[in-house]
Amino acid sequence: MDVVLTSFIRALRNADVRVSTSETLDAFNTVQLVGYDDRARLKRALSLVLPKTVDEKTAFDVCFDRFFARRPLRALADEGDGSIEAPASPALAPNSSLGQLLMRGNTMEINIEMHAAGERANVQRIEVFTQKGVYTQRMLDAMGGAELQHEVAALAQSTDQSTTSGSRQLGTELAHRRDWLREMIRGYVEEQFLLHADVTGRRLREDLLRNVRMASIDARHRRLVQDTVRRMARRLVAAYSRRRKIFRRGQLHLPRTLRHNMKYDDAIFDLKWKSSRVDRPRVFAICDVSGSVANYASFMLMFLYSLDEVLPKVRSFAFSSDLGEVSALFQQHPIDEAMALTLQQYGKGSTDYGRALADFSRLCLDEIDKKTTIILLGDGRNNFGDPRLDLMKQLYDRSQRLIWLNPEPRSIWNTGDSEMRHFAAYCHQVDECSTLAQLERFVGGLLRHSR
Amino acid sequence: MTDIRQVATSIASLQRHLESHHYICSEQIATAVFLAFHLRKPVLIEGPPGVGKTELAKTTAAMFDLPLIRLQCYEGLDEAKALYEWKYGKQLLYTQVLKQTLDEVLQGAKGFAESVRRLHEFGDIFFSEEFLEARPLLKALQAENGCVLLIDEVDKSDHEFESLLLELLSDYQVSIPEIGTVKAKREPPLVFLTSNNTREISDALKRRCLHLYIPFPDVKLEQRIVQARVPEIPDQLREQLVAFIHKLRDMDLKKVPSISETIDWARTLLLLHAERLDPAVVRDTMNVILKFQEDIDSVQPQLPAMMR
Repeated sequence: MDVVLTSFIRALRNADVRVSTSETLDAFNTVQLVGYDDRARLKRALSLVLPKTVDEKTAFDVCFDRFFARRPLRALADEGDGSIEAPASPALAPNSSLGQLLMRGNTMEINIEMHAAGERANVQRIEVFTQKGVYTQRMLDAMGGAELQHEVAALAQSTDQSTTSGSRQLGTELAHRRDWLREMIRGYVEEQFLLHADVTGRRLREDLLRNVRMASIDARHRRLVQDTVRRMARRLVAAYSRRRKIFRRGQLHLPRTLRHNMKYDDAIFDLKWKSSRVDRPRVFAICDVSGSVANYASFMLMFLYSLDEVLPKVRSFAFSSDLGEVSALFQQHPIDEAMALTLQQYGKGSTDYGRALADFSRLCLDEIDKKTTIILLGDGRNNFGDPRLDLMKQLYDRSQRLIWLNPEPRSIWNTGDSEMRHFAAYCHQVDECSTLAQLERFVGGLLRHSR
Repeated sequence: MTDIRQVATSIASLQRHLESHHYICSEQIATAVFLAFHLRKPVLIEGPPGVGKTELAKTTAAMFDLPLIRLQCYEGLDEAKALYEWKYGKQLLYTQVLKQTLDEVLQGAKGFAESVRRLHEFGDIFFSEEFLEARPLLKALQAENGCVLLIDEVDKSDHEFESLLLELLSDYQVSIPEIGTVKAKREPPLVFLTSNNTREISDALKRRCLHLYIPFPDVKLEQRIVQARVPEIPDQLREQLVAFIHKLRDMDLKKVPSISETIDWARTLLLLHAERLDPAVVRDTMNVILKFQEDIDSVQPQLPAMMR
């Protein structure tokens, strides 16, 4: 198998381009067809086979240039002061194998050795940038760096009269070349890091973030979270955005069957089944942004915002005591601004579910029907106020689904002023939702339900 | 007749031949046709509307001198319209005719069991290729010397239809329950799928295809395209026109003009005997390139500045 191509594909996968096995095989066939000699042609050809979306194509371009830019290493002679020339005293030859290699000064040879050492040291496994030093040292060791080190030290302390000057010279020369080699290796490791690691690192962080409570995620990871949340919302949309028909095989639609088969002299060839159209649901999302859930509120709003971006018929509301519609806000402003504005307008005051529900009913109870899904995001802590369960029941009866997502862990529901027990009675579904993983599971469930 | 293999020996040769059929393309596009031909893989073409996705398939068919079979996708397209259907009328007619011969067949048969056995000997004649009405996909497989199959706007079809395509695209065969598997004749068809990206195509489908993205061309390429399509147009006008279109594409418009609109505009200007672009001419013919009144309104006031 072609090692260059497989490692290129590994680098591609690292850069978030999904490449399947069958596509790998296609790539092999492609390379056989077009060859490696013309790089531009190879790039054009592979860009048809491997990346399959516009985003992936961009990633592919970057990755290809970076990967195949690993040119045959710069000739030794080009380095700086031209220090690499034929050795001054050919009579003296170093004993260590690495020393000999360096003194021969054949770049090709050194290059090959370096790649082999890279393989042995597993440089491709590098994950975070702090490992660069370690891997550089490891590679140097794999090439026989320790042995060379001893020799350089020994040569410097050489006392033998007849050869002192010669060996000193050899010693400095060797040390010089060793430093040069270290630089080369560092460059090599750097390249490998860029190819293999900077994304692995990101994936690692993403995995971690998914299971951390949203409230405790640092602000600087927001962007990553946003991406994840947006991806989730997009999955929701894929399931919801088309109108589908559900066929009930087994239930004959007699009028249509007869009508359709009239042309065959009433011999029944073509059966027509009963079907019903599944309409796109209208989604109303209500988000608690009061002080008690302040930490979660921004993430909930982020989810709401992403939902709004991708689903056409979402109406979003926010409340702490007074409830208001924020859909327009979301559509007019970029995410950060929209969130700030929402929190500013509705985030003051303590929670009053009763009042919020009353406001919501007044605003849009008439629009809630059997095609409507209501998603409520909140902790259900009502400061011992009247939860207005009658309104809750009304919403429950009218809507297709009423889903409550609570950011608190299940164990502390119903403690203190939490009214979850009562609210839960009037929900089709109640879920704990405090980490991205949970949010994702919820979205997955919603998708299954809609199929 | 054109020798297909001769044409497809190299990417450069393909590009030349496409050009001789008035399809000016980038090397990327020629590479796609080259790979599609040699790897025998379908090509999924994506890109903004009007960049010549469908045209590529048509031109390829003309270039290889192959018949073009086109399947236009829409919501609700199913296998009866895309793949095959039984000729019910013919089946019915034959049943009527056979009723009379039935007596002869069954003559002398003792008991029900033997009658049934005799009928069995006839086999499933009503569900044989004789009674099969081939729709585009099946037709493409049955084409004797290969053909170009164009599945247009595959994103408009339903998810179910995509799954239907998978077998065809990976193995160039379809399974018909009553008959068995129908394989492509000697030469499998050259398949092009186009998509306007109104929804994501499934991964399974993408995996089986080469993926070609055709963006809007750069100024130089577009000039050559206009020259190939509207050769009578004066050089100066052509340069001005393409430059103007490119300026429009950089603006925030509801629908930016595509190549087909550039060509239409070039023809319009030629018809009006315009020698060069000036604001008055542009204002009069703007509805050829901009299809929304809002776009026209937003461009109008900027015209003098853009013409400089």
